[in-house]
Amino acid sequence: MRKTLTILIGIIYSFQAFAVARFPKPDFTSGYQYPNIVHSAPYELFWNILDVVLLVGMMGLVVWAAYRKRSRTIILSMSLVSVLYFGFFRSGCVCSVGSIQNVVTAAVSSDYHLPWYVLLVFLLPIVFALLFGRVFCSGVCPLGALQELVNVRNFRLSRAVSATLTMIPWVYLAFTILYAATRSQFLICRLDPFIGIFRLGGDLGVMSFGIVLLVMSLFIGRPFCQFLCPYGALLSVFSALSWKKLEMTDKGCINCALCSVSCPVDAIRPPQDSKTNEERKKGVKRIILFALLLPVFTLAGSVLVGSQSDALSLAHKDVYLYEMLLRQEAQPELEEPLEVETFHALGGDMEELKAKVDGIRSDYSFYAYLVGALIGFVIGFKLLKLSLKRGRKTYEIDMARCTLCGKCFNYCPQNQSTRYTISNRKTIKNEKTIS
Amino acid sequence: MEKKDKDQLKSPMDRRDFLRTCSAFVAGGVAVASGGLLAAKASAKEGEVFWQIDPYKCTQCGRCETDCVLTVSAVKCFHANKVCGYCDLCGGYYRPNVKELNTAAENMMCPTGAITREFVEEPYFEYTIDEDLCTGCGKCVKGCTSFGNGSLFLQIDQEKCQQCNECAIARVCPSDAIQRVSNAHAYKLKDHA
Repeated sequence: MRKTLTILIGIIYSFQAFAVARFPKPDFTSGYQYPNIVHSAPYELFWNILDVVLLVGMMGLVVWAAYRKRSRTIILSMSLVSVLYFGFFRSGCVCSVGSIQNVVTAAVSSDYHLPWYVLLVFLLPIVFALLFGRVFCSGVCPLGALQELVNVRNFRLSRAVSATLTMIPWVYLAFTILYAATRSQFLICRLDPFIGIFRLGGDLGVMSFGIVLLVMSLFIGRPFCQFLCPYGALLSVFSALSWKKLEMTDKGCINCALCSVSCPVDAIRPPQDSKTNEERKKGVKRIILFALLLPVFTLAGSVLVGSQSDALSLAHKDVYLYEMLLRQEAQPELEEPLEVETFHALGGDMEELKAKVDGIRSDYSFYAYLVGALIGFVIGFKLLKLSLKRGRKTYEIDMARCTLCGKCFNYCPQNQSTRYTISNRKTIKNEKTIS
Repeated sequence: MEKKDKDQLKSPMDRRDFLRTCSAFVAGGVAVASGGLLAAKASAKEGEVFWQIDPYKCTQCGRCETDCVLTVSAVKCFHANKVCGYCDLCGGYYRPNVKELNTAAENMMCPTGAITREFVEEPYFEYTIDEDLCTGCGKCVKGCTSFGNGSLFLQIDQEKCQQCNECAIARVCPSDAIQRVSNAHAYKLKDHA
């Protein structure tokens, strides 16, 4: 019996086939019953509802802490909750930063179904940003919260350096949109520096990048939020136009500059005269020049990125496979990569693949021009903005940059009178001893 | 307060405020409009958020074991008893060309000993997978699909899966076998085929 089986199997082995009923269903005579195996289903609804409820609740609490209480303690405790719950417990997915990609994919393709809670996770922080600024960044986003919790010192980068670096999030956002719209890959998920820390394991390169960032955030306030986060860039647009503006104190600024020193993201602008030494005519000319440069930059960016669309399209799996197949055809002596082997084993049709790749490439050329224009426009717009000079009488918070960490509240001497100060404590103690 | 009064005398709103308010309304409008459009899309059908392997597309390349973000992959071997032939000489249990049919380690296909079998009646054996030991390497699945009925197949254990926004295995799967599925179709089992 065994011998015949071995021979039979030897024959079958010579032509591999998939899932064929080679052996008949056994006729059990002993009354054997098939075991009933139950596979654990994912708990979708409960956790997703809890995520959204917590997201709104925590953002609400941060608004209350920042605008009403001016308390950093509450914001910090929110950060801790966020790191523990959204970070370690829910292990990061799906986050608002990454949800950009789902939203873009859903917007451009009809066969991708956007789950309702991913949409909420994407939209709610934007709604809050339009009303109160970057509340989400403050103590709700686990990535920001993690950096906030480890931050001890703030070494200030020069304005020129930080203005240049703040372009990176926009470039990152542009490429994220390009790859998500062409359904190539989710760039943000792949390069998320802190997910490895939350999951206690992951890609070594990305994880070490995360650790480097975390060490950096000991000395520089939120390097990821400032110079990398694409969602932060998106939020900053809405936040700059926010309905409410955050103020360090409600008792009036005394221009002591302490808040400006304390700010980890350099969001507090010092007072300055609106008058400059420059003639008015010259200033107007400069603004007109930069306004005219804006479309030039947009066009240049569009052409620059658009011309590289073929090279960029290699990020798509199918395009990459196609290129690999071509290389294999040209040099058959090379060892076949697994992808090529599988393609041939499954009887892949080269013509069919080519048609698919052509479609992807044409998508790429369209979206590459689009996101190139976005990058060019942002650079032009930033230059235009830098060329404007605004007068300020007191220290003011730049809502586009402010992440509502609440550090300035404690630094502002105007807030101290009702607070816990040394002199205050003494008087309280004295009162106690008297009574 | 004084400054404000003065400004109000000049004009009800200065240019800067006017521009700001306008752009705020535009931004709000864009957010609401895109939100509305996307919401219409989102409510149209059940969201497909979970990752699952189509066992009929899977080629058992072995990347499921190595490319998952988890240290021990969330991909596990499943067994469709109703498809199984209950053979003594099982292509998923024994390595090819074994000399003696015993449970010596060199005869076993599974590198972690996650497959156990129990004698049912002559000549049938029931095979069971210990999911805690399984690493999702797919060696047994390859053996079973090549020699047997293909009752062993790889699936993502939805309880272990981290539900990454982008599945790290799907990115490298050579046969595109991993796709997003809805909660109702969280598993692609072979018994129901």
